[in-house]
Amino acid sequence: MIKKEKPMKYGVMRPGHVQIRVLDMEEALKHYRDLLGLIEMDRDDQGRVYLKGWTEVDKYSVVLREADEAGMDFMGFKCVSEDVLDTLRHKLVDYGCEVQEIAAGELKDCGRRIRFVAPSGHAFELFATKEQTGKWGIADVNPDAWPRGLTGMAATRFDHCLLYGTDVPATARLFQEVLGFDMGEQVVAPDDSKTLIAAFLTVGMKAHDVAFIEHPEPGKFHHASFFLETWEDVLRAADLISMSDTPIDIGPTRHGLTNGRTIYFFDPSGNRTEVFAGGNYHYPDHQPITWTADQLGKAIFYHDRVLNERFLTVVS
Amino acid sequence: MTNNNNEHVPCERHRVSVAHASQSFIASENINLLVNMERANQSHVLVGCRGGGCGKCRIQVLEGTYLSKKMSRAHIKPDDEEQGVVLACRIFARSDLHIIPMAIDQH
Repeated sequence: MIKKEKPMKYGVMRPGHVQIRVLDMEEALKHYRDLLGLIEMDRDDQGRVYLKGWTEVDKYSVVLREADEAGMDFMGFKCVSEDVLDTLRHKLVDYGCEVQEIAAGELKDCGRRIRFVAPSGHAFELFATKEQTGKWGIADVNPDAWPRGLTGMAATRFDHCLLYGTDVPATARLFQEVLGFDMGEQVVAPDDSKTLIAAFLTVGMKAHDVAFIEHPEPGKFHHASFFLETWEDVLRAADLISMSDTPIDIGPTRHGLTNGRTIYFFDPSGNRTEVFAGGNYHYPDHQPITWTADQLGKAIFYHDRVLNERFLTVVS
Repeated sequence: MTNNNNEHVPCERHRVSVAHASQSFIASENINLLVNMERANQSHVLVGCRGGGCGKCRIQVLEGTYLSKKMSRAHIKPDDEEQGVVLACRIFARSDLHIIPMAIDQH
């Protein structure tokens, strides 16, 4: 086997998981499993449920925890090796972050995790080890195109989170300087200050792996996003949203930012979910794509060209 | 996948009056109060996530009885619930109601 050394700048590879708080687990499963079409992979003795999109090779990417409040507990990024984890832990401490190590096994079949809180107020984790069960329902060798037995929107993978919180400039700096993310796209103030208002950050070729929008309250969850292959899949998702009378936010439409085709809706606890298709790609030599805040309507909803109040202010 | 889609089942309906508003609306027992309001094309209360998570649709029920589902403790504390302060998207009318919309909470 060829051992790849740090294919990403500092060894952070991709989004690994998100733990979402839900008010009622059985209602939440109707949303994430039956409507979104994630696969239920496991449960633990705390009552948490582990799920994933069918194309994902790790055992799970979404963890649901029943709680009294909605929102996000943490988002985790997978790194290329345990050595990288140690290096990044030191870098985070040197940068001034408080770092906490969570023992292997706290999340089922996952190695130790290094947790820190970003200036935005959100908890993030780095980990390098998680059980790999392979793509769901198809073989590793001579695989078929897709598995039978998928439900609902048949979301293919957990793609990214958009988070609302404080001090986006400092948060973006931390992700770039310490963790090796690139600024894929950004929203800046239209005046000479060019103050950063939104940061869409990527560690690979995707348009974004995590995004932040400036917000007065720290640590708020805007949405978790899941990838579909085509615009037709997005329209089919919209049909399913109506068939199940699921609360909708907006869409189907296109984003100016990231150029994705998208629809937003809410889980039964009020956490927002996105499914999307397409979107920009990013190479390390790309300059950030920039939108100015006076064009935010078009940046976020390319067709309507106006923001709905809900998208800007409703967070969990 | 049929979270809310039980509206074809016959059920009791109640009238919801809103403090300082001339219009009232009818609420079916099996649909949450906020969606009943939206279906009546009225806008006394802000509409957010419709799932008890964001806190936009905070109201106080001044008169009447209702059933409530779990609401985010970030927005509705136990004390609030005792005072009839709830999220409109998580309550279901069990009698005629009199409600007052509340200022957006800043928790």
